[in-house]
Amino acid sequence: MPKHEPVLLKNMLQPGYTGSLADYERAGGYQALRTVLGKIPPAEVTHMVIKSGLRGRGGAGFPTGVKWGFLPKDYTGPKYLCCNADESEPGTFKDRQLMERDPHQVLEGIAIACYAIGVETAYIYIRGEFALGAKILEAAIREARAAGYLGTNVLGTGRTMNVWVHRGAGAYICGEETALLESLEGKRGLPRVKPPFPATHGLYNKPTVVNNVETLANLPHIITRGPDWFASIGSPPKSAGTRIFCVSGHVKRPGNYEVPMGITCRELIFEQAGGMRSDKPLKAFIPGGASAPFLTPDHLDVKLDFESVAQAGSMLGSGGVTVMEEGTDMVWAALRLTEFFYHESCGKCSPCREGSSWLVQTLRRIVAGQGRMQDLETLTDLCQNIAGRTVCAFGDAEVSPILSTLKYWRHEYEALIRAAEADGPTELLMPTAARH
Amino acid sequence: MPHAAVDTVTLTIDGHHLTVPKGTLVIEAARQAGVMVPHFCYHPKLKPDANCRMCLVEVEKMPKLQTACSTPVAEGMVVRTATTVVNEAHKSVLEFILANHPLDCPVCDQGGRCDLQDFSHQYTPTTSRFIEVKRVFPKEYFSPLIETQMNRCVQCLRCVRYCDEVMDVKALAPSGRGTMTEIKSFLHHELDCEFCGGCVQICPVGAITSRLSMYEYRPWMLKRADTVCTYCGDGCQITIQTKDNQLVEVMSAQGAGRNNGDLCARGFFGYHVSTHPDRLRHPLIRRDGVLVQATWEEALELVAETAVRLKLAHGPNAFAGLIAARCTNEDLYLFQKFMRLAIGTNHLDSSARYGQINGVRALRRVQGTHRWTVTFEDIVSADALLLVGTNITETNPITGLKVKEAVKKRQATLLTIDSLEPAVGAISNIANLSSHHFSVHPDRFKPAVLGLIKAVVEDGHVDPTLAQRAPAYLQTISDSVQDLSWPAIEAATGGTPESFREAARTFARSARAVILIGQGVLRTADGYGLATTLLDLLLLTGQHGRPGCGLAPLAEENNDQGAVEMGAVAEYLPGPGDLSDPAARSRVAQLWKEDLPQEPGLTLMPMLERARAGALKAMFIVGENPVGSLPLSAKAKEALQSLEFLACQELFLTETAQLAHVVLPACSYAEKDGTFTNTEGHVQAVRHAIDPIGESRPDWEIFSALSVLMGYPLEYGDAKEILKEIRSLIPDYGRLGPAPTPMRPATEAVDGYLHTGYATDAADRYALSGTGHEARGAGNDGHLTLLIAQSLFHSGKLSTRSKGLLQVQAEGSLTLNPADAARLGLADRDQVRVTNNLGAMTTTVMLAERVPKGLVLFPEHFDQEARRLLTVSTDPVTQVPYYKLTQVTIERL
Repeated sequence: MPKHEPVLLKNMLQPGYTGSLADYERAGGYQALRTVLGKIPPAEVTHMVIKSGLRGRGGAGFPTGVKWGFLPKDYTGPKYLCCNADESEPGTFKDRQLMERDPHQVLEGIAIACYAIGVETAYIYIRGEFALGAKILEAAIREARAAGYLGTNVLGTGRTMNVWVHRGAGAYICGEETALLESLEGKRGLPRVKPPFPATHGLYNKPTVVNNVETLANLPHIITRGPDWFASIGSPPKSAGTRIFCVSGHVKRPGNYEVPMGITCRELIFEQAGGMRSDKPLKAFIPGGASAPFLTPDHLDVKLDFESVAQAGSMLGSGGVTVMEEGTDMVWAALRLTEFFYHESCGKCSPCREGSSWLVQTLRRIVAGQGRMQDLETLTDLCQNIAGRTVCAFGDAEVSPILSTLKYWRHEYEALIRAAEADGPTELLMPTAARH
Repeated sequence: MPHAAVDTVTLTIDGHHLTVPKGTLVIEAARQAGVMVPHFCYHPKLKPDANCRMCLVEVEKMPKLQTACSTPVAEGMVVRTATTVVNEAHKSVLEFILANHPLDCPVCDQGGRCDLQDFSHQYTPTTSRFIEVKRVFPKEYFSPLIETQMNRCVQCLRCVRYCDEVMDVKALAPSGRGTMTEIKSFLHHELDCEFCGGCVQICPVGAITSRLSMYEYRPWMLKRADTVCTYCGDGCQITIQTKDNQLVEVMSAQGAGRNNGDLCARGFFGYHVSTHPDRLRHPLIRRDGVLVQATWEEALELVAETAVRLKLAHGPNAFAGLIAARCTNEDLYLFQKFMRLAIGTNHLDSSARYGQINGVRALRRVQGTHRWTVTFEDIVSADALLLVGTNITETNPITGLKVKEAVKKRQATLLTIDSLEPAVGAISNIANLSSHHFSVHPDRFKPAVLGLIKAVVEDGHVDPTLAQRAPAYLQTISDSVQDLSWPAIEAATGGTPESFREAARTFARSARAVILIGQGVLRTADGYGLATTLLDLLLLTGQHGRPGCGLAPLAEENNDQGAVEMGAVAEYLPGPGDLSDPAARSRVAQLWKEDLPQEPGLTLMPMLERARAGALKAMFIVGENPVGSLPLSAKAKEALQSLEFLACQELFLTETAQLAHVVLPACSYAEKDGTFTNTEGHVQAVRHAIDPIGESRPDWEIFSALSVLMGYPLEYGDAKEILKEIRSLIPDYGRLGPAPTPMRPATEAVDGYLHTGYATDAADRYALSGTGHEARGAGNDGHLTLLIAQSLFHSGKLSTRSKGLLQVQAEGSLTLNPADAARLGLADRDQVRVTNNLGAMTTTVMLAERVPKGLVLFPEHFDQEARRLLTVSTDPVTQVPYYKLTQVTIERL
């Protein structure tokens, strides 16, 4: 098994590392912040990040430095940084580990970003269920403030950087950056219409940057080891750096694996994660969280970088890799994911709101042996009518399990329906649209 | 005004080339090109939310379909709204929206005027692919006036957004997620809000409807009449819809009238007064001490004969007349003409005397206008708004919306001097939007205004031209305010010198400033003087006379302004012109071909005094109810009982009408034609919606009939003929247009004021003494100030006969600050006894953070008992009776 040097997980992999400020400092922590503060002009920090090729680790993969550059110049009013820690994508659990096991790495990243974009207030919007992570972060913030890394007059430079932890209330949609901002403002978490983008009209209508936890955690390393170092990892120029892949499902060693982008799916699943858990071969996998379309064994040699996965018809997304072995009922798998999306559809846009309930009911009917052949036509139609017709990307996400399973495993749908038809006509099952 | 250069954009929509202002949304540009893009969630009043996805259109060079409601136009943009792709998108979105819709059109009140019905008709096939189970919400009781049927909801959130963005009430919220999203009030209680009806009006489907007319009609059965609301001075255009001469519902179309389709609870739900079972249906004559039904002939003849007899015996000045400013201009005009010619006296007054006259006289004195120099549009586009003594969201809710729009959408700075505190509650509170709020007791507005002026003078915000133009004026005011001490101002108002300085700086430096004053100024002692002083504030800061700037007194009744302009007050002839002004007299006399009575007229309070003294023999009271309005201490009842003859013309048998010898049944606004003049001076058409109730007749027709019987015929074919005569006296009167042209201050008048006019009462106006009444205790003895205030849900006593409004507020209760309540050991809904040296009353208490410590509020609409506790003072100049404030002691029962 090729050994890859971990960057983000390096500290926590050391035996006895507790994530305390002392441990972090012993491991060289906060040196990057000392390096930039007052010594490298903010614009230069942004430039370094652009040069490194760092792209967002939340899902969309937007170049981080470029995003920072969208903040209005010569603007003197309040602006904000929001750390998106609402990690809710099924099959994704990297940010949780980063926050729980090495919180200061995240905080140092936040402090560097605050410096670069001239922000005095940063919010960590953390998924409500991450009670432990929130507690650890809050303790770390207290430590960092006491040590002068955060608060007013950071490291004696006169700069203010206040970081606040805000716990979400349990909605998947609040991981969408504009819904996150709405929720942070105390409102119902519904995505906003873009444009305007958060860079100009974000939190409280002020210029705002929203960055993922993993994205921010990369910053200290880019500063310490230089953008060129970062750009040399992975498959530059488009997919530089490492990526923490969260492998789950029918593998021997599920868990987080930090590897350079560009290794193949095969290497991640069969070498890093130890291969399939039993003797059954791999049947399907999702490469980037529940929103990413399914791939097949034919795609095992696809490189895990932004472009290659997209080319294969899926997306790198949040890095959540879910593996399914032969024998998995793909219609059932699609239903399970669609039920998740039905449960989480915020209800703002008609196609997604009504469509998710329609899709889930039709799938339930098929799985329950009540399907009709024309349902497959309807499913395809509905998916196409949802995708691209909603305010946020949720609409595109919710149809991907159905469209991709119909694409690769249509015969499984047809077999279920044929079996149902062979049983003869039955009364239509009356599924109930239960309250959540 | 020359049009400012506007950046424009040229684009193509479905082959139409058009040029529109930059920033226009595609959906609006399409509308201008005559292309209707289907939509549910878009509404011109609301920020685009793009949630229904119905308005998807194709934009060249954009890969995905775009929502026309949220996409601004761009130069050279090519938009297609009717391609196959777009049509398919519309069909698919509609298919989704219809999936869970119950299709219960036959029992839906929206059926026939429903966007979903119309678009379904246009886009969808007759069958649906949806064979799954529809989502069903359990039925929940929502509120007494508003019904929800959430299965019909399309989740466009227009109601929620309207309630927040326009009303600033935030009573509605979506609850639940995805298909289980339903519109509810926050938390589990029935709706508690302003009941403006905005959610009912803005709902594109039948999800939110009015309970007042539930299942009573199909929209196409309704007859419509566009008219004007009578519940306050804002003058909202309403459409009354009727069926078989019954009032079914009121609505106001988007874009209609000065209110732009927005209404308040009174306008939307208060319409049943006109058909109340207690309406007078026949004339009544007192026989053997009892009022009994009579014919019109008997009643009119009795009034006319008695009038002629008493006039011969005692002369015309033994008569006096009083009319409600709820009447039309035509009624008011003919009333004063009748009094001045057929009777021959100037002893006439109207309800404008209760406060409006203070504002008008201050404007005339300082700037020679009788109207605002600003319009509602100027309020919206003001940079600084100063509100003094007005709980505007309750008294003049639609003018309040203009203020909200200025602050919320245009970031105007709001300064408020009022007794109510900023606090979140069920109804909107303008102080919450204020960035400079002075919370002062209702008798301390004057020191607060003086504090502002002192800061203006001391901090050099005085208009530099003033030193040249009016050195003595400037000197007098500067000296006066410098004599005032900051500690004294702070003691009176609680405002620090710094807070006054900041507010003064903001106000003086703003590009466009408007001052709005309400009943707290106009109906409180010193009202006339304080209104004048506020004009000084404008003059001093150079905000006076500039377009878009000015003082705007808020009219309480729908035609307070018209009453003054029609000369239905003692001191004015139609115009208004001063009764004492020979030019004004001769102009009117020429038109009337008759000399006008010479003796100056008596106003309301002296009338009552003279009646009590036996000097007045007869009164003609039209729609006014002094016995029910004035405090007991005003002895209105005794005064009217002393008369030899009292004729009342009324909708209902009020406390006053019960004393009459003859009662003539009059039509309500819903049954007559004419015009009202709103608070900003806009003259608007009133049109009858139903036939007269019973034998009731329009007021003007009754005056005309009486004049004929008295041998002094004032004959007119209809209300329009009277308006024609009004126009010949007041050019431009009733020129109906989309917006009024504001008056400009008369240079001569301003110069006169700056030269000498200011001096007559400057010393009084700029003295702190005499501002506070008796010292207020805040000790444990329960000694508090009682303010008789107006509620959002009622207008005078008239609306207390509206079944809709009574469901929201059926009785009066005493509102006080929780801290005072705690001090007095009171809890919400406790019974209390309120006493002072004049009397006592029993009522329940309600706690509200809005009410400051030391003050208690009681609604005037239910003040039958509270009026026992009030004293009356009269303005030395305008003779406005002041009786809204008193000191009381409260104890728990």
